[in-house]
Amino acid sequence: MRKIVERFRRSLTLKVILSIVLLTTLVLGVVGTTLYTRISAGIKEEKVDSAISEAAYTIYFAQTRLLASSRTDSELRRTAKEIVNSQAIGSDISSREIVLMRGIRNIDPEVPIDSVSNQISLSSIPNTLREKVASSGNISWEFVNTIYASGKLVPSVAVGEEIQVSKSGTYEMYVIFSLEPQIKALELIKNYLWLSGLALLILITFVTWLTLRQILQPIREVAATAARLTTGALDLRINVQSEDEIGRLGQTFNDMARSIEEQIRRLENLSRVQQQFVSDVSHELRTPLTTIRMASDLLFNARESFDPAIGRSTELLLAQIDKFEKLLEDLLEVSRFDADVANVKPEVVDVRTLVSKCMDDLALVASDRATSLTLECVGEDLSAQVDPRRITRVVRNLLTNAIEHSEGKAVNVSVIADDHSLSIGVRDHGVGIDPANHHRVFDRFWRADTSRSRARGGTGLGLAIAQEDARLHNGQITLWSELNEGAHFTLTIPKKFGGELINSALHH
Amino acid sequence: MTSVLVVDDDQDLAEMLGIVLNGVGIEVDLVSRGDEVLDVVRNNPPDLILLDVMLPGLDGVEVCRQIREHSIQVPIVMLTAKGDTHDVVLGLEAGADDYMVKPFKPSELVARIKTRLRRTTTNIKGTLTLGDISIDIVEHTISRGTKEIPLTRLEFDLLVALAKEPGRVFTREALLNEVWGYRHSTDTRLVNVHVQRLRAKVEHDPENPTIITTVRGIGYKAGASGSRGK
Repeated sequence: MRKIVERFRRSLTLKVILSIVLLTTLVLGVVGTTLYTRISAGIKEEKVDSAISEAAYTIYFAQTRLLASSRTDSELRRTAKEIVNSQAIGSDISSREIVLMRGIRNIDPEVPIDSVSNQISLSSIPNTLREKVASSGNISWEFVNTIYASGKLVPSVAVGEEIQVSKSGTYEMYVIFSLEPQIKALELIKNYLWLSGLALLILITFVTWLTLRQILQPIREVAATAARLTTGALDLRINVQSEDEIGRLGQTFNDMARSIEEQIRRLENLSRVQQQFVSDVSHELRTPLTTIRMASDLLFNARESFDPAIGRSTELLLAQIDKFEKLLEDLLEVSRFDADVANVKPEVVDVRTLVSKCMDDLALVASDRATSLTLECVGEDLSAQVDPRRITRVVRNLLTNAIEHSEGKAVNVSVIADDHSLSIGVRDHGVGIDPANHHRVFDRFWRADTSRSRARGGTGLGLAIAQEDARLHNGQITLWSELNEGAHFTLTIPKKFGGELINSALHH
Repeated sequence: MTSVLVVDDDQDLAEMLGIVLNGVGIEVDLVSRGDEVLDVVRNNPPDLILLDVMLPGLDGVEVCRQIREHSIQVPIVMLTAKGDTHDVVLGLEAGADDYMVKPFKPSELVARIKTRLRRTTTNIKGTLTLGDISIDIVEHTISRGTKEIPLTRLEFDLLVALAKEPGRVFTREALLNEVWGYRHSTDTRLVNVHVQRLRAKVEHDPENPTIITTVRGIGYKAGASGSRGK
């Protein structure tokens, strides 16, 4: 059932056809019923009219004969019977029957002349008609069912009037006309109406379906093409064959697709050229930088023999070359991420060991700033399938940042794991980052406090790279921080490389 | 006096390398084209070659291959501006012993060159046997039966490092430290490539090694996989 509803919901054809069928059925029903009612009424009315005039004549004729035969009782009875039998027509199609029965109030006539043709039942004449005949004194009629002795019912119209017979008193005479021919004709008309209605319905449905198909086929094609275009098949076009509205739709769609393709290709090219340029520049700078580094190293080693100002200059030169090198390295890494060519080499490592090693490496830097480092581990299994080089880089980066901003207060590192995920948290209690700036922390070259941070080294690309590294692991880096409360960076990754980060308690 | 052949088309860098190396008592010859290297090496064999990857005439990887194809076992250190690319692996596979990514510190370069030039320092004298291979520490040769197998000095060092403690499992990092003199480096490709090259020379079937076996997830050891590490 749900399937049908779903199918219906998704198909315009079904929707349109269903509504057209419903509407057509309604209209055809109303028209057909009206038509039939009118025809039926007309036919019956005509029959009644002719029945009344025919009956009037017959009754008049009978009255005359019965009055004229003021003879013996048996003669009277015979005449009555004769009238009844002679006036009845037994033919199948337009048969008519005669009923001669004593009036309602004529209880005990001297000479009963009751008689019916073809032994039809007296109950064929309903009491309502008899009352009408008796009370009006005029000719009256009603639709009745003629009941034959065999039990057969024939729909008919009964027309009757009182007649006065000497000796016998008030009698009612009815002429009953069969309506069978009319009913048969109506039956036929009804069938024709049904048939033509059904044919019309089928025709309209078919025409609708055909029209819809003609309109929808190109639209479906457009939809399918648009869907494939979305998945990257930018060179796909629609085959436009007509110049009508549908054709124009296709043409416009093609124009749009072409325009989009051009734009995307242009942008792709632009960004590829740009990435290539960054990568080339970084590489090209390396050879001269090697020479510069070697030359300045020589100078640096000989700085004792220089004038103090030149000696100091040599030191500054070397420090800046170090920084320049680091910047170049970071730029290259970023260009690799941008070009999507970063290669990951995942292996199962003990993250606790990895983090401890990073902490050992930075212990000297930390002690220079009088910052103590602590490590807390929670969880049974602290191993994960990661690229150790990248995760080490992330941890070192977070640690370096934390130490630089620790202001001599402790930096707490935590490694927490559950069955699916693992998180590494680095918490400092230093200056913190204004929450208004949290969204910019991972931006390239963004610095919390320009003047101060730059003096401390760091390329401004560290967190951007860290975040890309986290993404390569399907992980994320989250930040909690308040001004003067310190900052807490948390890297959360799935334990299995390529796995999804399940919404666990580990990331907040 | 030790001599190093510097192959680089950047004249300034080459000259600078000369100054630095001269400063530590190493004699330097300069070549700027890749296609001239082989002749120079044949006529005047150096103790080590510093080889740039991007060279006019013939690129560094090809130069490497050419030298090894002529069974010249001189240590080769590649200089590359692209440490991340396939070039490095290609160079190592072509027979380079080590590589340095530009820009490097002069002290680092000197340390690396010295590691490559030093004689294997081991207190074991005489010969070591590993499977059907015998290693002559003094003569710096290895042989199977009477047939000598030519190895580069690095390959020899790698084999000796493993063979002097047969059965001990060495991590790649330990080998990097022992053979290449790296304090901390994460590029284990060096070890992998050279173990492959060494196997190609000493194993009967390099696909199913019995002399240098891989210990999954840890590293390598000398001897068949059946023998237990200590």
